[in-house]
Amino acid sequence: MSVGVNPPSILLADGDEQSREMFGTFFEGRGWVYDVVPDSSSMVGALEKGTYDIVIADVELSGPDATHFLTDILDKHPSQPIIAVSPNPTYENVLRVFRSGATDLLARPIDFSWLERVVQQIVFSRRNDERERATYRFVTKEQAEMRFSSADLAQLASISLPLVGRLAQSGMLSHTDALKIRLAVQEAVLNGLEHGNLELDSQWKEELSADGRDKFSSMRKKRLADRAYADRSVTVKLVYGDGRLEITVRDEGKGFLNARGVSDGCKVDSLSCSGRGLALMSSAVDEVQFGENGSEVTMIKRLHERKSTEDYGS
Amino acid sequence: MEFPTKVVGDKAYIRVTSDLDTETAGEALRSAFNEMYDQGKRTIVLDLSGAQIINSYGIGKVLMCYKRLKAENGVLMVKPLDGFVKETFELLMLDKLLPIDDS
Repeated sequence: MSVGVNPPSILLADGDEQSREMFGTFFEGRGWVYDVVPDSSSMVGALEKGTYDIVIADVELSGPDATHFLTDILDKHPSQPIIAVSPNPTYENVLRVFRSGATDLLARPIDFSWLERVVQQIVFSRRNDERERATYRFVTKEQAEMRFSSADLAQLASISLPLVGRLAQSGMLSHTDALKIRLAVQEAVLNGLEHGNLELDSQWKEELSADGRDKFSSMRKKRLADRAYADRSVTVKLVYGDGRLEITVRDEGKGFLNARGVSDGCKVDSLSCSGRGLALMSSAVDEVQFGENGSEVTMIKRLHERKSTEDYGS
Repeated sequence: MEFPTKVVGDKAYIRVTSDLDTETAGEALRSAFNEMYDQGKRTIVLDLSGAQIINSYGIGKVLMCYKRLKAENGVLMVKPLDGFVKETFELLMLDKLLPIDDS
């Protein structure tokens, strides 16, 4: 696996002098670039000043149960890969290290061939991401279309929207806006599935059986087992271009708008079961339009100017 | 998926430990709520600090809990909110409906 012309850059945080020398000799032998710090506060300082492909940190750097400093680092630098080094990799310690958010764990004594493999995998993945970002600086139009059957869609927790992720990475959408748009699409898709294709009535959410189950959930299950409903599809189309992102979600139901173009009983307030999805959609984008009697919704978000090339780093 | 519950005095607490945006999470909330409700608890506090995201589905489940308690003169409260969940509650005016438990 090649990591390209740029050698891996590493920040080593290790309180033991002999261990630091051993790592240093290994890094130099591989031609890797590295800095060394002896404690967790110097590590925080080094990460403020510079960027590294990987941090390799002794988990006992600031005491016997010190994985919390890994969590602190990841709070400030969420995409920073960290390889934790532990002299005592018991089940509990391993669990604690991974729960802190570390990418991988090395036990002492160090298996350097394993370390080399892990570093190369992490750096290979980072370089790929950088290449993708660099390419996207020059993309001015992109579109994607996805189609799901109702039965399949009901199995998905959420839909991945890589185009939205690329716009966020290129600075044309803030990460908060990207999150809101993902949720707005999820709302639109859920509306299309439940109210469009499965023709479920919001009022059924209010009708509870003795065990607290609502009619809406039981009818949802029943209709997902009926091919007349379950085979209907939901289509999601994303178009980026001309400074805006346009997302259209279309179902194969009858639509929720009547002939006059208004909704039958769709009231946006906190207590009614309907309308909250529409409120969430409207808050995420600049414009929401309905077509095909409401079985098609288009959300439009105007985008920021893309960042200049210098803003991206290498 | 199960959400942990505890009872302190006359209050029951449900700690939501995942995003509240899927059927699985919604069912976990319903099940934890039913457990407390069936024990006769009529003041139930939701701790949503473990959820970064809530959608209309999750809000629907929260409101179902609210309505069941209200029908019995009970109260549904929330621990102080932050981030996107707080923003969503404010957008949908749920912050006016559900009192904060800051004990």
